[in-house]
Amino acid sequence: MTDPSIVPIKLHARAWDARGATLLPVVVGLNSRAVAWHRDRLITQAEFIAEVSRIAASLPASGSMINLCEDRYNFLATYVAGLTVRHEVLLPPSRVEQVVGEIASLHPGSYRIEDEDRGATLALASSPIALHIEADAIAMLGYTSGSTGQPSAQLKRWRALHASAALNGASIRRVIGLAEQDSAAIVATVPPQHMYGMELSVLLPLIGGMAVHSGRPLFPADVARALSEIPEPRVLVSTPVHLRAMVQSNQVFPRISLIVSATAPLDRVLANAVETKLQAPLLEMFGSTETCVIATRRPSQDDAWNIYEGVTLEPTAEGTRVDAPWFHRSVMLQDILELANTNQFTVRGRNADMIEVAGKRASLADITRRLLAIEGVEDAAVFQPDQTEVGTIYRVAAAVVAPSLTTRHIHAELAKGVDPAFLPRPLILVESLPRNDVGKLPRDKLLELLALGRVKL
Amino acid sequence: MAALQSASELELAQLIVTSLNLEGVQPTDIEPEAPLFKTGLGLDSIDALELSLEISKRYGFQIRSDDENNVRIFSSLRSLAEHIQQNKADR
Repeated sequence: MTDPSIVPIKLHARAWDARGATLLPVVVGLNSRAVAWHRDRLITQAEFIAEVSRIAASLPASGSMINLCEDRYNFLATYVAGLTVRHEVLLPPSRVEQVVGEIASLHPGSYRIEDEDRGATLALASSPIALHIEADAIAMLGYTSGSTGQPSAQLKRWRALHASAALNGASIRRVIGLAEQDSAAIVATVPPQHMYGMELSVLLPLIGGMAVHSGRPLFPADVARALSEIPEPRVLVSTPVHLRAMVQSNQVFPRISLIVSATAPLDRVLANAVETKLQAPLLEMFGSTETCVIATRRPSQDDAWNIYEGVTLEPTAEGTRVDAPWFHRSVMLQDILELANTNQFTVRGRNADMIEVAGKRASLADITRRLLAIEGVEDAAVFQPDQTEVGTIYRVAAAVVAPSLTTRHIHAELAKGVDPAFLPRPLILVESLPRNDVGKLPRDKLLELLALGRVKL
Repeated sequence: MAALQSASELELAQLIVTSLNLEGVQPTDIEPEAPLFKTGLGLDSIDALELSLEISKRYGFQIRSDDENNVRIFSSLRSLAEHIQQNKADR
């Protein structure tokens, strides 16, 4: 094995192992290029590889890595270390203990990696690591809270993530007007464990020729500071919730070349406001944990989405079947997409069960199940009230039948297994739920109940 | 029954309840020393973002979290109210 610190890797370099299996690099670019900025300190690819090799040497001999790192640079380094030793990397949808525990129980022998763990590896000596892995290696298991009650895993092979990075990188470069070898620096407000955060803030710096800021800024002033710590051209990877806050603030932002938004739909009004405030084009991405990003649009100009080359969509009665040569199998999306032609679609309906807030994802059915599991809860319904304004945070609401419990107790119990972003608000206690003859809960009746609950307070 | 809130704490408590639509919570119910986030009121980062906008509108300064004071500032109604008193723009 050669010394990792002196091997320059060409963009899109491929190799083959002794048995002829295709290998793909875990990091792509020159050793002198920037992979990340920790605050305003540049971390070169050579430093990054040395770091990865120290972490790899410190990992358990076997097992699956549950990566809980919040610092994006720590996430990048521990993730790649896991890849190089072929440990399955598990990405939980939330840091909530019950959720992480459920995933751990599905993978006996799994171990957790957190920000503090990386500090312990700094004193270790680095040892050579394999910087190419099999194209078919399992590169991550992304978990979503499934409506069935069990967290469901989305398996991604390294070749699929390479394809995703190439497509996303090309679409970003096209809007900014960059050549294929040109870098850009990314600030992201979404967690690396979410598929969108993984694609835009982990894969692009690793194998897409870009670099990323290690922070996850929340407030507009934090976003402005993080942007000021990286060089141009700057790309801001964010969500409608965060972007709306930036528009409403009187914060001044450094020059940005491109804003990327995903996780929830953005309308033309907010898109125009964002482009005016930040003086940059806004590119919206359409995707899912199951498919990765499959299409983009400029919401200030277009209603239709432009489908990535190679992706095929097939509308069916149950939803839309999505396929691409790099998928290991086709994916059925619950969203109803209408094909305008082979390259474009418009969205006619979204999956009503899955909800997303600022890069976190949950299932209404899963929250309902956890409510019903609380001792003393007899019946429960979780639903989303109508959204009044795009980009506003709209919480899920719940109506619960629990004669012996208080809302405070129910909230506290639910918080053990549900991310705070999805704790129902309001959660109203009722004598019974307005179920119809077949036991279903008509949405209009639930909304009436909610309106009544509000009046009473 | 909550411990006694100062005038600035009550004002902030009212802002929290109205801007975050905390139905069922009375401003006077918010304990000055109790945690606002995760446990306690159970607020999350999105609430913090919403709250920061209201604070900047009303008090004329931008909340930022990327310093070591982050945890302390948002730890309770009292510490957030103190932070506002120290930073608010003179009007």
